[in-house]
Amino acid sequence: MTIVHAHQVSAAPVQTLMERRFSPYTENGGTTLAVAGEDFCVIAGDTRQSEGYHINSRYAPKVYQLSNGAVLATGGMYADGLTLVKRLEQRLEWYFHQHEKTMGIGALAQMLSIMLYNKRFFPYYVWNTLGGLDEEGKGCVFSYDPVGNYEKHHWNCSGSAGHLIQPFLDNQVGHKHQPKAQAGLLSFDHVVRLVKDAFTGATERDIYTGDYLEIFIVRAGGITKEKIDLKKD
Amino acid sequence: MSIMDYNGSAIIAMKGKNCVAIAADRRFGVQAMTLATNFQKIFPITDHLYLGLPGLATDVQTLHERFRMKVNMYHLREEREITPSTFASLVASTLYERRFGSYFAEPLIAGLEKDGTPYICSMDLIGCVTTPGDFVVAGTASNQLYGMAESLYEPNLEPEDLFETISQVLLNAVDRDAISGWGGIVHVITLDKVITRTLKGRMD
Amino acid sequence: MDHFPGNWGQPLSRDPHVVSSTDWFPGPGRAAAEPIARTQQPMVTGTSVLGIKYKDGIMIAADTLASYGSLARFRDVKRIISVGENTIIGASGDISDLQHIEHMLETVMIKEYCVDDGHTLYPKHIYEYLSRVMYNRRTSMNPLWNSLVVGGVRNGEKFLGFVDLQGTTYQASTIATGYGAYIGQPILRKAVEGREDEITEEEAVKIMDDCMRVLWYRDARSSPKIQRATVTAAGITVTEPYELTTEWGFAENIKGYGA
Repeated sequence: MTIVHAHQVSAAPVQTLMERRFSPYTENGGTTLAVAGEDFCVIAGDTRQSEGYHINSRYAPKVYQLSNGAVLATGGMYADGLTLVKRLEQRLEWYFHQHEKTMGIGALAQMLSIMLYNKRFFPYYVWNTLGGLDEEGKGCVFSYDPVGNYEKHHWNCSGSAGHLIQPFLDNQVGHKHQPKAQAGLLSFDHVVRLVKDAFTGATERDIYTGDYLEIFIVRAGGITKEKIDLKKD
Repeated sequence: MSIMDYNGSAIIAMKGKNCVAIAADRRFGVQAMTLATNFQKIFPITDHLYLGLPGLATDVQTLHERFRMKVNMYHLREEREITPSTFASLVASTLYERRFGSYFAEPLIAGLEKDGTPYICSMDLIGCVTTPGDFVVAGTASNQLYGMAESLYEPNLEPEDLFETISQVLLNAVDRDAISGWGGIVHVITLDKVITRTLKGRMD
Repeated sequence: MDHFPGNWGQPLSRDPHVVSSTDWFPGPGRAAAEPIARTQQPMVTGTSVLGIKYKDGIMIAADTLASYGSLARFRDVKRIISVGENTIIGASGDISDLQHIEHMLETVMIKEYCVDDGHTLYPKHIYEYLSRVMYNRRTSMNPLWNSLVVGGVRNGEKFLGFVDLQGTTYQASTIATGYGAYIGQPILRKAVEGREDEITEEEAVKIMDDCMRVLWYRDARSSPKIQRATVTAAGITVTEPYELTTEWGFAENIKGYGA
């Protein structure tokens, strides 16, 4: 056997391709938010999709209106979010045909948690925020981590600017540190105004938030959708 | 975890109309354990100039002592008060001297120039200065502070309104950071006086 | 010498005196827990693909080079394929994976044709199919190493979408893969965004050629021989490979870098 020393020229093929390990995950950024009112729920998200310092698309919506009247906002890995929503829709349809009624938001919230936990060791890399009306017609919000940990609250913000907006919601929606403020849930117009302010503020400081803001408004009469401009830089 | 996040802190400075404000939390802790709730992170430099030092607590105190010495030397040599912009240069060059073995603090400076013009600046731990027109933040709660300040701040506030704004920004920001808070302190600097108030905050 | 072929190339982690009946058989049959190597690396690759929307439809451009590492291995490979009557796909990344995808799409189109309901797949359907295949392969940790640009026109509706090896999808009026995302995309956005319904075919050709030329100047894995494809209401056209005109006079004036 010939031993090729380091200083000799090798006749063997030279390794030219770089070994690259495949990562099944990517982070597509974006921010989502939901606020519950007495008889309504507002769910919003920006529409920018990014990867590293690239902007893939200025309009790639990640807030989805589900067939049972709830709205699901996803963030994190776009492909996982999309897949999760497709599976949810399938389950909602099976439920509808089996029980001859649409799934309530409480059941949906629990089911989403289980579906996420079922992939505990190869998780959907998605931060979910679920919003809608409960059986009594009251607004409600559920937020999740990627492995199905979830909690019910009146307001929530997650995603790349979640750290920026959440304390703002605590202050303006939850009246935290405002002892003289009138307690209770906010009016509809007020909430929509706050949501727009929150996103325009976050867009200034978070590079992954911007382009457009899509706002879903869930009320007993149905769901309306509003799209407004955010800064595109 | 970064050494910058070892003790926990939140500091913010804001410009107003002929006034500036600077505010900080009061926690001293080691990682998740709170050890004191009366820790000083903002230091008076002159009557109209304050320095905020968020970061590693040992460097906060060392830097304060070094700046106290340097400013005293400046006053003795120059026989005049140091201005905010000059002091910012002094801080920046002091940090850059230790370019490859830096102090772990990101100073904020707030003060009034002689004619009452507000001055604020922030810098990174090796002295890269930035002087925005509205507010500066630093510390482990900087994201939360940015989010609050970006939505609550407005230009040309009177001292009392500036106090309310900066206090709301601080208190709500630190409640979403696990290692800062436990009370706060605010200084509003005007030409004729400095209003200093401590804030009650959540103690969890 | 280990006389059991089943142990060859395996770590010696068990008692060699204990013999099992599977020891005589080579291959992965012996222990189900043995790792299966299937995470590949791209071998023969294509570089950037560009896609834009314009007045009449969709235009996609790519060069015809298939590289083996830094070697310009195959210089006349078609990286833009047409599927059905109104869809085109441009692919960067592994060429063999692209040809596998081409094969899968042929199968799907034949199956659809055999149903004989007069219905064919729209650009959107092909995009959806590709996105599910790509996502499924990433989930089984056995990806098809490509970034695909899918374009088409159907019933007057323009479609331009992107799918990659992680299953990431998006639609936009300009799309650029690989190096093109750094160099081509800014030029495309400036030229196209907000003008999707104004740009004539003539202008679109100029925009694409300009971008491909810049890529040829700066992307070391590119070639000046390119192809362009369009989909309009009239159908698909794919140009024969043609050479870009280039201007190298400026090279004389470059100073530094040892020049």
